[in-house]
Amino acid sequence: MTRHTARVSRIGLAIIGVILLLGAGAVLARSLNASTSVLGNAHAPLLTHGQVQYPTKNSWVWPVVAAASFLIAVLALWWMAAQTKTGTVRRMPLEPDRVHGTTTLRADAATGAMTDELKSHPNILAADALLHGSSTTPGLRLGVTAENRADPRLVRADIENEALSHLRSALELDEIPTVLRLQFSRAFDRHLV
Amino acid sequence: MNDVTGHPADTAVLPETGQPAPPRADAWSLPGPRRKARRQFRPRRRIPGVLVAAVIVAAGIVGCIWAASAALGHPLWNIPHGDFAGPLQSSVHWDDTGTLIVASAVAFVGFLLILIALIPGRTRAIPLASGDESLVIGVPRRSLRRSLAWLVEDIAGIDRAKVRTGRHSVKVRATTPLRDPAGLRENVQAVVEDRLTRLEPLWPVRVKVRLRRKED
Repeated sequence: MTRHTARVSRIGLAIIGVILLLGAGAVLARSLNASTSVLGNAHAPLLTHGQVQYPTKNSWVWPVVAAASFLIAVLALWWMAAQTKTGTVRRMPLEPDRVHGTTTLRADAATGAMTDELKSHPNILAADALLHGSSTTPGLRLGVTAENRADPRLVRADIENEALSHLRSALELDEIPTVLRLQFSRAFDRHLV
Repeated sequence: MNDVTGHPADTAVLPETGQPAPPRADAWSLPGPRRKARRQFRPRRRIPGVLVAAVIVAAGIVGCIWAASAALGHPLWNIPHGDFAGPLQSSVHWDDTGTLIVASAVAFVGFLLILIALIPGRTRAIPLASGDESLVIGVPRRSLRRSLAWLVEDIAGIDRAKVRTGRHSVKVRATTPLRDPAGLRENVQAVVEDRLTRLEPLWPVRVKVRLRRKED
């Protein structure tokens, strides 16, 4: 989902950039008198009298402009929403057996158990976890703050061998694509923050 | 493309005993995990994306209100819609300096947005080798810098340390109050290299240490 958000942001920015560059490029071409035959005379006024009078003579212009502006605003709003959503999974179906009723698990119960387990390790000072994506094949975003003096290999062994495998068995999934952000802190810094 | 199966380093599994596996010194040479991690930690361009979207939303709403009010015959603001271009009408020409400047500025912004969209950008976190293909691990650069600086400052004889991370290098600048810091530089180098080896970054990281004597 995060990769999806990155694509949404980058593609949108590229489209807007191309529109701005092409529009401004056309204006510049005419300003610099690049091609009089195609673009027109560079010394002409930006707006002719006929163009200025056009909306007054044609009553459809303003409603169309209003509708187009509204559409642009809605599209941009949708783009904004698509970029900011986290796609958090809240509930997960455990037994998708519709005949005998379904069992759902609260996602934060599963991730909470996992972070509690992680925090019980002396080398791990803080942990947070979030399931995102689809509820049947979620991905995991995991943040772990480890004690700086601890061996990072031991910390990783704790995470990989215990916490992640426990979460996998709790959610009855063979594989959870996980992104782990490993940070380091010093134990006494906890009292300062 | 991601042909990493059968690679000896890739199949190394951490044993169940909690004992860490020997460091995968060649971990950075795995192209598959490295590419995957780089994709994951590349900047998402969410801040410029949301900013541009917000500007467009605002412009769209303002334009919509303005055009709607003009359509109803009660234009907001003092711009008569019959003469909506107002001062632009006859006094501004295509080859005016103002037109050129505005068009250049807009073109520059467009060019900038395209660059932001296309340039991959420096990864926010330094990817580490993981024992599992579904697991991507990264240390945020800031955290790595602080972590290494703390480690160096814990060495006896080191006062302060500053760490910078480059593309393939870690630069440590440490100050010492000692008059004769013999072997101290090597010590710092060893501590930083040892930590990096234990972290197993997916990049070959060179360590450079500069030691300065603190002036009293």
